[in-house]
Amino acid sequence: MLTNDRLHWLTPAALVMLSATPGYAVEYLSIEQAQRLCFPKADQFAASHIQFTPAQIKAIEAASGQKVLVRGEQVWKATQGGRLQGFFIVDYVIGKHLAIDYAVALSPDGAVRQIEILQYRESYGGEIRNADWRKQFAGKTARSPLALNSDIRNISGATLSCRHVTEGVKRVLATYELCLK
Amino acid sequence: MSSASSEVRRARPLLGTFVEIGARGLAHDRLHGAIDRAFAAIERVHRLMSFHDPASDVSRLNRLAARRAVAVHPWTSEVLRQAQHFAAISDGDFDISVAPLLQKWGYLPREKNRPLPRRISDYRKIELLDRDRVRFHDSCVSIDLGGIAKGFAVDQAVRILEAENVVAGLVNAGGDLRALGSCAVEIRNPALGGPSPAKLALENDALATSAHYFARKRWRGRNVTPLVSPRDRAACFRYASVSVRAPSCLHADALAKIAMLRGPRAFPLLEKFAAHALLVTSAGEVVCSPGWHEKTRN
Repeated sequence: MLTNDRLHWLTPAALVMLSATPGYAVEYLSIEQAQRLCFPKADQFAASHIQFTPAQIKAIEAASGQKVLVRGEQVWKATQGGRLQGFFIVDYVIGKHLAIDYAVALSPDGAVRQIEILQYRESYGGEIRNADWRKQFAGKTARSPLALNSDIRNISGATLSCRHVTEGVKRVLATYELCLK
Repeated sequence: MSSASSEVRRARPLLGTFVEIGARGLAHDRLHGAIDRAFAAIERVHRLMSFHDPASDVSRLNRLAARRAVAVHPWTSEVLRQAQHFAAISDGDFDISVAPLLQKWGYLPREKNRPLPRRISDYRKIELLDRDRVRFHDSCVSIDLGGIAKGFAVDQAVRILEAENVVAGLVNAGGDLRALGSCAVEIRNPALGGPSPAKLALENDALATSAHYFARKRWRGRNVTPLVSPRDRAACFRYASVSVRAPSCLHADALAKIAMLRGPRAFPLLEKFAAHALLVTSAGEVVCSPGWHEKTRN
């Protein structure tokens, strides 16, 4: 019990630390903007978010070789005049330290039509290693910006590899096969 | 680019990095259309030149070109021609045949049933034939275009933005970038979070930075990075970051690799391409080529 209380108190302190961590973030597209770009003809996006059962999590991890970080997926069905245009899925992966939000548009038969980065975040703090602590920042949108330097700048320099996003898309495709098909 | 009212910026995971395209000067939907088509060109480069995709030209060459001549897409042919040119003029300091070393160090994937070549070959065993055909004259040749394809892709994408009448824009493929019109850019400090070693205004030209602060790692007790010297098969750590400014992004990309190896000894070669360089040593010291300041003052 004491441990739990401690954790509660520790979280805000960790947040203060984050705002002091130099970093970089860009918001490219809102969910709505990305939906319109991926399915320009769609007249409706019906939210049909999925909650995974423990068995589904195991199956997705086995099929994709990727760890499932959250117990569900934000999915919208894009339709035009009632006809299915495809699926729009918002997911995130942990880049080096912080979450990168991205959207995957799938055709009705589950082929990847488009991938758009929604929000890119980078931290320079090598000390951020605690997975639970990082997770709380995942899935944040523009309405809950991180305390990072979010000036739009053009930077020439090494960037993070996109390997994590590529792996995340594998997990999204496994999710389609098991839960949406 | 300033944050004008009609400015659009998007990013996609391509070429192993995050490719960002920004554009302004047209109505929103036309900017998005132009960016879509610019991304399509980069996706095409990705499909043709990915080491990871078994169906790419690069993978087909690595599987087959030691046995027979293999025909490739004209874009792949053009990148190979440029790569071989840079290899020749740099005496092999730029060499696309270092792939097996990058595979050994875990930067490139290994095929399950295909052992790594016994030794590393070199660019002189690659022959470019007529009609976009390629032949390897050594079974140990395995190529990776990671040091040059991003620059080519950026050039293609900028060409498309221009054809779409975008007034100003920027394409940035993991630090290899090129401006359409004028655009303020900065070089990242290799001591992450520190002040930029240079802020400059690009004017229809390109800037490519090679650095290893995100990619370096330990491999069997050694420090390694994907930036490797083809001659002595060693990772390059003398410079923490090397930036080259040139009229084309492909040139900037390839020349940055040569400058990473040679340091200031590469400056005369850079001049032949109207290119300028800024190097940051591992100790944090900044070294510029003679033309750098003159060029950046404009």
